Amino acid sequence: MSKYIIRRLLSLIPTMFVIVTLSFFLVRFAPGGPFSSEKKVPEQVLQNLMKKYHMDEPLGTQYVRYLGDVLRGDFGPSFRYRDSTVNELIAQSFPNSIFLGSVSLCIALLLGILVGILSALKQNHWQDYAAMSIAVVGISVPLFVIGPVFQLVFGLKLHWLPISGWITSRDGLKTLIMPALTLAFPYFAYIARLSRASIVEVLRSDYVRTARAKGLAERVVIGKHVLKGGLLPVVSYLGPAFSGIITGSLVVESVFAIPGIGRVFVQSAINRDYTLIMGEVIIYSLILVTMNFVVDIVYGFLDPRISYK
Amino acid sequence: MAKKNDKAVNEFNQQMKPVSLWADAWKRLRKNKMALISLWVVGFYALIAIAAPILPFYDYRTQSMNHINLPPSLKPAGRLAIDQLEEQVKLLRSRVADGVDSLKPNLERAEADLAAMKANVGNDPTDKKVYILGTDYLGRDMLAKTIYGARISMMVGLIGTLTAVLVGVIIGAFSGYVGGWLDNLLMRFVDIMYGLPYMLIVIILMAMFRKEGQSSIFILFIGIALVSWLTIARVVRGQIISLKNSEFVEAARSMGASTGRIIFRHLLPNALGVIIIFTSLSLPSFIMNESFLSFLGMGVSAPLSSWGSLVSEGANTMELYPWQLLAPAIEMTIFLFCMNFVGDGLRDALDPQSKNRT
Repeated sequence: MSKYIIRRLLSLIPTMFVIVTLSFFLVRFAPGGPFSSEKKVPEQVLQNLMKKYHMDEPLGTQYVRYLGDVLRGDFGPSFRYRDSTVNELIAQSFPNSIFLGSVSLCIALLLGILVGILSALKQNHWQDYAAMSIAVVGISVPLFVIGPVFQLVFGLKLHWLPISGWITSRDGLKTLIMPALTLAFPYFAYIARLSRASIVEVLRSDYVRTARAKGLAERVVIGKHVLKGGLLPVVSYLGPAFSGIITGSLVVESVFAIPGIGRVFVQSAINRDYTLIMGEVIIYSLILVTMNFVVDIVYGFLDPRISYK
Repeated sequence: MAKKNDKAVNEFNQQMKPVSLWADAWKRLRKNKMALISLWVVGFYALIAIAAPILPFYDYRTQSMNHINLPPSLKPAGRLAIDQLEEQVKLLRSRVADGVDSLKPNLERAEADLAAMKANVGNDPTDKKVYILGTDYLGRDMLAKTIYGARISMMVGLIGTLTAVLVGVIIGAFSGYVGGWLDNLLMRFVDIMYGLPYMLIVIILMAMFRKEGQSSIFILFIGIALVSWLTIARVVRGQIISLKNSEFVEAARSMGASTGRIIFRHLLPNALGVIIIFTSLSLPSFIMNESFLSFLGMGVSAPLSSWGSLVSEGANTMELYPWQLLAPAIEMTIFLFCMNFVGDGLRDALDPQSKNRT
């Protein structure tokens, strides 16, 4: 097991290396530089700017310099926001996104599993049909439709919740409700479907029949035997769910005006803020890769049928 | 999804006629009512989108300043605009009567507008237009706009899916059949690509390579297709590996068939089921991705519009003119909803595990 973990951990290094390299060259080969917009900058000033950010050096040298900086955890200065470094910009916005993302993921997991279990136990009853209809809506309606429609209904028409803002504002935690629910909705739907399908499967399996045959109470059968096997697919879905929530937060943050890293990312992509884009892509990938790794390991612990040799 | 039906199904029935995979799948799909209805709806959308230029819709670019921000209605536009203005005049009058003197010039202007409009109502042929989904802030017909938005969205979805399937099937098939170092190399590459935050890469591509004021659909296609062949490549590879040592492949090889022939004539037809399932399930996700980018302002740009950019426009004005958000949003939701049902239905119908079982 520990051998597997170490091997898996080592395999993260080439992945991260490719990501850093890819984002570096992708961004450098794109037409138009970070200083080539709005008003025309005099040639001399441009040259000085290039020099200051080491952009006059050969590409190879820049690349090696960047790799070294990244290894030390230094993403360099932002090209667009002259006064701040990439590290500062990420440090300001990242905690907000993490908070929103984790709240959404928790909501999606709790509600999704609960609804999944209930509709599996009430299979082909109206509760099942109702829950699964909602789940289909959640899967097919895109986030950027759910968000504005929520705003329209709960914010503008019913005046229950503030339509935008963040928890640091006057409205406090109330501002979190709509964005978190919006972001959680598709993943709630997916998890509900996933857990329902696999619990239905497990309910038919031999070991559940055995458990019932030896006279265990239904509560014990469900709680101890069915859930353990039935929720495994949900664990393996956590990786994709996490990456989905990261991309989803781009939309949700811009719809609800949340000062998170998603909004910074979209802005920096439009501004061609090279270092900022690369820094964000690296952070995002690092989270994704780590999450997938953790999920794999956890899965191995939970599923007795898997042995890592 | 399949309904209970014990008459047609008997696994021990020796007299059952041999059924081809497709006949069998079609039989099962026909029993799935939701999937069938959805298939009709999708077909209807496709028909409207293809035939839009020859159907009697208004032009989606024509602006008419007399008819801005009209709500959805079956009344002719001239009547509706007058009603709206009368409403406004009434409101202003009551406010002025309450002693709000600063609104007096506004009232006079509105009254003059109303008189002019009433005098003109018979003369202007555009006043007879009926906007069932309302108009936008430039007086353009929302129905025509959403239909032309649907055309773009569906085209992106279709072309993206086809590219992804083509690339994915070829790479997956060769990787699985040839095996060895090629397989290793390709699958490591796929693994690494899977680790990438893929929408972010597309966003970067879009932001970097699109030029202001120029249609960027082409880059959008490349961006989305570039990163979307991974799943299908993996699935096809798995199918090929499980089939490549079977007798019929052995037979073909012993008769001297080339690698390409074995892959395309013998192996891929057997993987067609999964390919079709993947295609139908990824079409809605392509449309979602395209609209996602357009919503963030990085997809198609004006004068072209897609469902995503229409929703984004509508979200800006939803406080006063909610139909501008709801029309494209509902239209898009219905389509995606039905596409998902079609995909699920096809999967249930084509899945070999559910063969002859209901």
